[in-house]
Amino acid sequence: MSSKSKKWFSLNLGKKDKHSENGCGCGKTSGGCGSHDLTIGEETKKDGFDQVFDVKMSRRTAFKQLTASLAIGAGAISTSCSMISGDETKEQAQIDWEEQFKGNYKLMTDEEKKATVDRLVRSYQLRTGKTLNMSSKNAEPDVLFGYAFNISKCQGYMDCVTACVEENNQDRNSQMQYIRIHEMKDGKGFNFNEADDNYYHEVPAEGHFYMGTQCFHCDNPPCVEVCPVQATWREDDGLVVVDYDWCVGCRYCMAACPYDGRRFNWSKPEVPEAEVNKNQHYLGNRMRKKGVMEKCTFCVQRSRAGKNPACVEACPTGARIFGNLLDPNSTIRWVLENKKVFRLKEDLGTEPKFWYFMD
Amino acid sequence: MHMNSFKWFVFAAAFVLCFLSCKQHHDEYHGVMDKIEAEGKQYHGVSVSSEDYLQGIEMIEITEGDHTFLIPERKSHIKSFKCTECHTKPLKELQKGLYKKAHWDIELDHANSNTMNCITCHDANNMDALRSLTGNNIDFNRSYNLCNQCHTKQFEDWKGGAHGKRIGGWAPPRAAMTCVNCHNPHKPHFESRWPARYNTQKVKERE
Amino acid sequence: MRRLKVFRSLVKDSLDTITHGSRKYHLWMALLTFIMLVGMYCYSIQLEQGLSATGMTDRVSWGLYISNFTFLVGVAAAAVMLVMPTYVLKDVDFKQAVLIGEGLAVAALIMCLAFVVADMGGPSVLWHMIPGIGVFNFPNSMLTWDVLVLNGYLFINITIPFYILFKHYQGKEAKSNVYVPGAFLSVFWAVGIHLVTAFLYQGLQARPFWNNALLGPRFLASAFAAGPALIILVLAIIRTFTAFKIEDKTIKKIAMVVTVAAQINLIMLVSELFKEFYAPTHHSESAYYLFFGLHGKDALLPWIWTAIPLNVLATVLLTFHKLRNNFKVLFFACFILFVAIWIEKGFGLIVPGFIPGPYGKIAEYTPTLIEIGVTLGIWALGAFVFTILAKTAIGIEIGKLRYKN
Repeated sequence: MSSKSKKWFSLNLGKKDKHSENGCGCGKTSGGCGSHDLTIGEETKKDGFDQVFDVKMSRRTAFKQLTASLAIGAGAISTSCSMISGDETKEQAQIDWEEQFKGNYKLMTDEEKKATVDRLVRSYQLRTGKTLNMSSKNAEPDVLFGYAFNISKCQGYMDCVTACVEENNQDRNSQMQYIRIHEMKDGKGFNFNEADDNYYHEVPAEGHFYMGTQCFHCDNPPCVEVCPVQATWREDDGLVVVDYDWCVGCRYCMAACPYDGRRFNWSKPEVPEAEVNKNQHYLGNRMRKKGVMEKCTFCVQRSRAGKNPACVEACPTGARIFGNLLDPNSTIRWVLENKKVFRLKEDLGTEPKFWYFMD
Repeated sequence: MHMNSFKWFVFAAAFVLCFLSCKQHHDEYHGVMDKIEAEGKQYHGVSVSSEDYLQGIEMIEITEGDHTFLIPERKSHIKSFKCTECHTKPLKELQKGLYKKAHWDIELDHANSNTMNCITCHDANNMDALRSLTGNNIDFNRSYNLCNQCHTKQFEDWKGGAHGKRIGGWAPPRAAMTCVNCHNPHKPHFESRWPARYNTQKVKERE
Repeated sequence: MRRLKVFRSLVKDSLDTITHGSRKYHLWMALLTFIMLVGMYCYSIQLEQGLSATGMTDRVSWGLYISNFTFLVGVAAAAVMLVMPTYVLKDVDFKQAVLIGEGLAVAALIMCLAFVVADMGGPSVLWHMIPGIGVFNFPNSMLTWDVLVLNGYLFINITIPFYILFKHYQGKEAKSNVYVPGAFLSVFWAVGIHLVTAFLYQGLQARPFWNNALLGPRFLASAFAAGPALIILVLAIIRTFTAFKIEDKTIKKIAMVVTVAAQINLIMLVSELFKEFYAPTHHSESAYYLFFGLHGKDALLPWIWTAIPLNVLATVLLTFHKLRNNFKVLFFACFILFVAIWIEKGFGLIVPGFIPGPYGKIAEYTPTLIEIGVTLGIWALGAFVFTILAKTAIGIEIGKLRYKN
């Protein structure tokens, strides 16, 4: 099947040509040639099992062809039954297939990263008819992200929480939120036990101060250590991220996190189509599925583009400061060097990159 | 004899396993602060920039102490600037009540009346500029110089970046809001209000 | 070639044995099958809805499944307390019990793996965990260690009894220089699986309730109490219902093992309680929650206050020779000890680890019916597997099953 004959919108996958070279010999341009879209054994991309072993093709091909032949049987029936939706269904099936057996994003080459992102964009388009903008931008050299939170400034408005939920496409049903704002009593110190993180009254309340927590992007993250499949890791710019497609959902990282930085999708996360933020990053706010872990990524889709995370941008009081720790002239560095900063549970040796300070 | 050598093998294997299992940290730094300091020394700049996000906002560059950064231009955002377009006569005359009332909605809620009134900041003789405590002119675009007469600590923090808000993004060039972008100079404190959201699931969870 | 033929015959004979039996046996198997089917139905609901079908939340993110997993690793490890005397120290009294013990270990391990799978958010991508085709975070993640040691232990516990039974099936004597090294390895391995499982929790600086050096040793002590206690009960049942001879002496010796382990376990419990309550720190809050409740939240109180008296009572009963040697008392003591440790090491260990949360918030955990259904199903699966294994093994050992040329 040549790419020209496709009726659907074609992304420039960069791999398309190879695909068509190996393509269908049966001469049909569309429809009937069901088997070819499913025999992905001919696919020459190297990811999934191969990347681990650096075995060129053999294992994966063999495995795929074996299982693909089963799928062809089912596929043949379905295609003969529904000629109308044929092409798109088959393409969706192929995408689903490749997504199911792709490798760990952490170990992918840049081409592989791009390929999976393109597949995800295409898949979304097939399902909803809408176009996403998904990035696979890598960490930039000379960047290490850090965050500072001004306890004296926060007024507890929770605008950050709302901005975060909207930016990061968090599940609306379970009201998932990465950020928690703790309302603390004056004179009790940082006593989380007596703090309320779900207040609903006019703020700032008399005799209280506010302290926000989220993922602290530890430099020595315990959650990364414990993950049995390396589905979560620390990127070079310091972001601790999750490959939602590689996560097996064991929740060991959740038990290992001393800061309540991780969230689990106990059911299928849902965001109304109109509210979906379509500016996405593979490691960031793309749509998750049920049974996987997710967390704050300092809005990787924004921060890697030079923007501030949504919470920083939304904060009306300027209590949130974000920047590049390696830049000696950055504001975050000024804060660390000139204010009395501290971090939570420093004694655990996790080295969070999230500092608190007061005016 | 055979048993014995086997025993040794098991012990050796266990020992090797224990050794291998020791978490290998290749980090040569004591903590993240050491790392930042050391790696920051070879900082070469970054390729991302927040310039795109500043487009459409007119900015002016200021240098205060060691810090040089951008702040939004102010004058064009003040309704009916220049002030002298209305204030054609000296204030005293305007106050006689012969003219239509202006600025009636401005209520000064900033320090007490012993410390401040309108002309602490405004120049009765030159409405187009602000006035320092010692009577010097301060341009509306650089109104922070007016604020920093009293709020010296906040000014230091603002220059460094600990006070105030960034515009654009974290990436250079640095652009920051100036005092009056967040604080109404006539009523500088933040109003209390209701939080943006309430999480009913959390309540259920903790029942 | 001959071996294959023998194997085929063994499988055939075994199938024949397990499908024939008394009325009671059939009822028992039917009951287990029914429970397994219910469990599978519950699991299908869980697959459909996601883990929200369970009582777990972001606050208490491990519950009944992981509790049972932890406990059962101990039961599996306990087989070693029979293996060591039999194969390594050549104590014949244990010989009858050891095959049963290993069968129990196999069943327990299968249950462990089933519980882990039931707890996974994405069972369809479990292949990510298979070394080779997935990415295996070894040696950093203790969970990968656990995967390795559990499967290794399963392998050892299948191969050794299989070798012995295979030989006996042909009417031959099993060669000790073949299986003794394996038995020897399994001794270390058993300690390994349980220590590694303890380290899974012990290594988390985020959870002070678990992050204590006594957890590993306590796991071992409680395992060597609860596991053999279960073996005693199973042996008692087998003795009543089958022709398999198990001498009183054997049961008494295992009872001795249970007694010592239960005593050590109790000492460690006291030590732990002393540390938590004599000089309570911020880190003692979980223990306070477990034993006394915190801020009016006290869901675990009935559980732990069932477990502690049962544990003490059982240990006291076992400590007195006269009482221990009275089988009625012994079986009762073993039963309550088993229940006590199941509570203590399951629910009583896993759930309070999450309460209060990292920021002092208390969200309690109650398993849902779906979760309980899956759990029962997995226990039934374990019992089913064990029954099959034991019936075949007993058939061979009493000479009913023999290879006929």
